Amino acid sequence: MKLKIGIVLTSVPAYSETFFSNKINGLIENGMEVILFTGSPLGNNRNLPYEVKEIQVYNKGWLVNLLHVIKACLKAIFINPIRSLKMLRYELADGVSILDSFKNVLVCQSILSYRLDWLHFGFGTLAVGKENVAKTLKAKMAVSFRGYDLYITPLKIDGYYNKLFGKQVKYHVLSQEMCIDLEKKGVERNHIKVITPAIDTSFFMPSTKGDKNDKIQLLTVARLHWKKGLEYTLEALFHLKKMGVDFQYDIIGTGEEYERLMFAVHQFNLSDCVNFIGKQSQEQIKHIMEKTDVYIQYSIQEGFCNAVLEAQAMSLLCVVSNAEGLQENVLNNETGWVVPKRNPQMLALKIKEVIDLSETEKSEVRKAARLRVENNFTLQQQQKKFIEFYNSDH
Amino acid sequence: MKNPLKIAVYSGEIPSTTFIERLILGLSNKEEYQILLFGLKHKSSVNYNKNVCVYAYTSNKLSKGLHLLKYTILLELFKRSEKKRLNAILASTEQDSLNNRVKYYPVLWHKPDIFHIQWAKSLKDWSWVQDFGIKLVLSLRGAHINYSPIADHQLSQVYRENFPKVDGFHAVSKAMKKEASQYGAPLNKCRVIYSGMESSVLKEEEKKRNSVLQIISVGRSHWIKGYSYALDACKILRDQEVAFKYYIVGGLNNLELMYQIDDLGLKSHVELLDNMPFEKVQKLIHQSDLLILPSLEEGIANVVLEAMLLETMVLSTHCGGMDEILKEGENGFLVPIRDVRALADAIIKIIKLSPSDYKQIIGRAKKSVCAQHNVNHMISGMSKLYEDTINDNFSDSSNV
Repeated sequence: MKLKIGIVLTSVPAYSETFFSNKINGLIENGMEVILFTGSPLGNNRNLPYEVKEIQVYNKGWLVNLLHVIKACLKAIFINPIRSLKMLRYELADGVSILDSFKNVLVCQSILSYRLDWLHFGFGTLAVGKENVAKTLKAKMAVSFRGYDLYITPLKIDGYYNKLFGKQVKYHVLSQEMCIDLEKKGVERNHIKVITPAIDTSFFMPSTKGDKNDKIQLLTVARLHWKKGLEYTLEALFHLKKMGVDFQYDIIGTGEEYERLMFAVHQFNLSDCVNFIGKQSQEQIKHIMEKTDVYIQYSIQEGFCNAVLEAQAMSLLCVVSNAEGLQENVLNNETGWVVPKRNPQMLALKIKEVIDLSETEKSEVRKAARLRVENNFTLQQQQKKFIEFYNSDH
Repeated sequence: MKNPLKIAVYSGEIPSTTFIERLILGLSNKEEYQILLFGLKHKSSVNYNKNVCVYAYTSNKLSKGLHLLKYTILLELFKRSEKKRLNAILASTEQDSLNNRVKYYPVLWHKPDIFHIQWAKSLKDWSWVQDFGIKLVLSLRGAHINYSPIADHQLSQVYRENFPKVDGFHAVSKAMKKEASQYGAPLNKCRVIYSGMESSVLKEEEKKRNSVLQIISVGRSHWIKGYSYALDACKILRDQEVAFKYYIVGGLNNLELMYQIDDLGLKSHVELLDNMPFEKVQKLIHQSDLLILPSLEEGIANVVLEAMLLETMVLSTHCGGMDEILKEGENGFLVPIRDVRALADAIIKIIKLSPSDYKQIIGRAKKSVCAQHNVNHMISGMSKLYEDTINDNFSDSSNV
C-alpha cells in the first residue's frame, strides 16, 4: 500500500530550494504519496506532482479572520467531528488552556481531514501547537530542525519545545552537531536521524576555464541576516586590506541587514572593494563562483549551509566558521578551512594564508572538496536516506 | 505689543521625544514666541504653556477626516488662491494625497513664520512651505544624518537637492554639522546648539561604588548601538575572570543579543531589560558604576549626558560628537568604534581606578555637562538661529 506523507512547510518550495523539491520528488518517484500543507497558498499555478493544502494563518484582519474561524468551526463540527474532539482531549490532557486548545484544533482542520501515515513538520517551529495532530490521525510524527528553529527561536520563550519533546517523534537534523545539541535537550539519540542537505553536483561543476583574476575574488552567498556573520566578515576584510591584499568581495543575497552592512563597509573604508549584488539565479551564482578564488561563510549560526556545498562542488577554496554544522560541511585543512567564529582577525589571517598557498596545495584542497561533495552530498543519496527515514521506525 | 514670532516645531508626533519636548518647553517659556505643533497626537497628553497651540489629529480615520474637512473649508473660504497654489505644487511633485492634505492644510492655514523640522527625512515633504514665505529650519540629528543616507543613495540625493535650499540648520554636534555639509548644507547657515539637560532629580543621593562592577547601557534595540561589540568585550572580561554584571536597558527580546549571550556563555553576567520610565532609568544609571556606549555612530548621546550628570563613569566609543563632551581620562573614557579589545581593556582600566581618581573624573564629567549642555544656552542659541533665519543674517560663519 502507498505510504502517504503529509509535509508541513511555511510555503511551497521555490524553484531554487532544490533540497525540498528533490526530497519530495524522490518520495513520489519511490511510490509514496505526498501532500504539502502550507501557510501561504500557491502563488502561480505551477504543475506540481503533489497536492497542496493551505493551513489557515489568522493574520488577515478581523473580518477575514472571523470568516475563517466560522469556516473552521463548521469543518470541525460537520467534517472532522471525532478527530477534532479527540485532538481537543489530547490538548487539554497536555495542560493547554481551553482557549488555546480550541485554537489549535481549528488551525489544524485542513490536516485533520486527511488519513496519513506520516506527518512531517519541515521546521521545528511549525510543530508548535500541532503536537497532537499526528497522534489524532494515528500517523507517525516527524520533525526537521534546520538551525534557526533549534538555536534561535526557542530563546524567546522558556520551554518552547517542552510539549513537542514529550511526544513520540522522529527527528531529522542536518548535522551531527545538531544531533548532539538536540540530545542535550532530552531527545533520545535513536529518535534522531542526521540527513545532511544535498546539491546537484552535475550542475555545480568546476569550470574548466583557467582565467586568472587581476585581483583576489572573494565571495559569500547569504541572506543579509545577522546570523550570517557578515559584519565580522567585513571586519576581517578591513584587516586583510591593511595587510596589503588587493581583493574584490561580492555578497550575493538580500535581507534586512543591508543598511547595517553598507554602513560597516563605509566605516571600514571598503567601498571600493565590496559589492552587494543582490539575489541571483542558480545560473548566475554558478557563473560568479566560476570566477571566485576564495569562498567565505563566516556564519554565527548555521545548520549546515547549502551554499558552502555548492562552493566546494565548484572546487572553490572555502573558509568557514565553526558554527554548528559548518565544521562538518568543510573538513578543516582537507576540503577547506574552519576558523572559530566571532574572531575577524583570525579570519583575515586565514584568508591571507590560503591566498598565499602554492598552486599545488590549493589544487589538492580543491580536488578534495569536490570529491567529498560528489561522494557524500548528492541529491540521490539524500533521496535514499529520506526513503529509509520513512520506512524505518527508528 | 509686537506680534509673537510663530514657530512650528515639527516632528510629526505629539508628544515627541524627550529632547524635542524639552526644546518646546524651553521655547514656550519665552513670551515673544508662539509655538505651533502639528501632526499626529498620541494618547499621552502634555500640559503645554499657554503660548503652545496644538493642531493635531489622532490616528483614526474619522479624526483625520474631520481635521481635513475643517481646514479645507477654512482655506476654501478665506485662502482659496493659496490652497489652489499648494494643490498645484503637490500635484507637480506627485505628493497629492488625502494623507498629505491632512498634514499640509493646517500648516498653510496657520502659516508659521518658521517651520522647524526635527527629522531630516521629512524635509522634501515640507519644501513647499518656502513658496508661501515660511522659513524652513532643519535640525540635524540621529540616524537621519548619521547612517541612513549612506545605505540609501536615493535619500542622499534628496538631501543634496534640498539641503542647499534650507534657510537655517541646527546641528546637535560639530560632527553632525560636518556630516551634513557633505550633503550640501551651507556651513554658515548651520549652528551647533547643544541639547540642554535638566539637572538630575537624584542629585542628593550619594554615589556609591558596587562590590561587583555594575555596567549599564541604555538605548533602543538597534545595531547602531553596537551591543554585539559590547558582548564580545564581555567575553574577554569573563575569560579574564573579571567580576561584573552588565545590563542592557531596551535590549529585551533582541534575538541577536539573546543568541550571543547564550553562545558566549554570558547568561550569568548579562541581562537584557525592557524599556522603562525615564525616572527608573535614571535610578539604574545612578546605581551603576559604569555606563558604556558602544555605538557605531551617534550625535551626542543624551544617555551619556544623563550618566555624567548622575555621576556615573562613562566609557564611550569615539564616534560622532562624543569627543565634544568626553575628554579621554579627564571626564570619562573613549575607545575606537568596533574595537572589542579596546573596550575590554578600558573597562579593566576603569576598575583599577583609585577611589579618588574615580571621584575626580565623575566630578569633572558633571561640571562639563552643566557648562556645555545648559537649557538656557540651548534656548538662547535657538532664538539666535531663528532671528538670523528670519533676517537672513548668515553672512559670517559664527557659531554658538
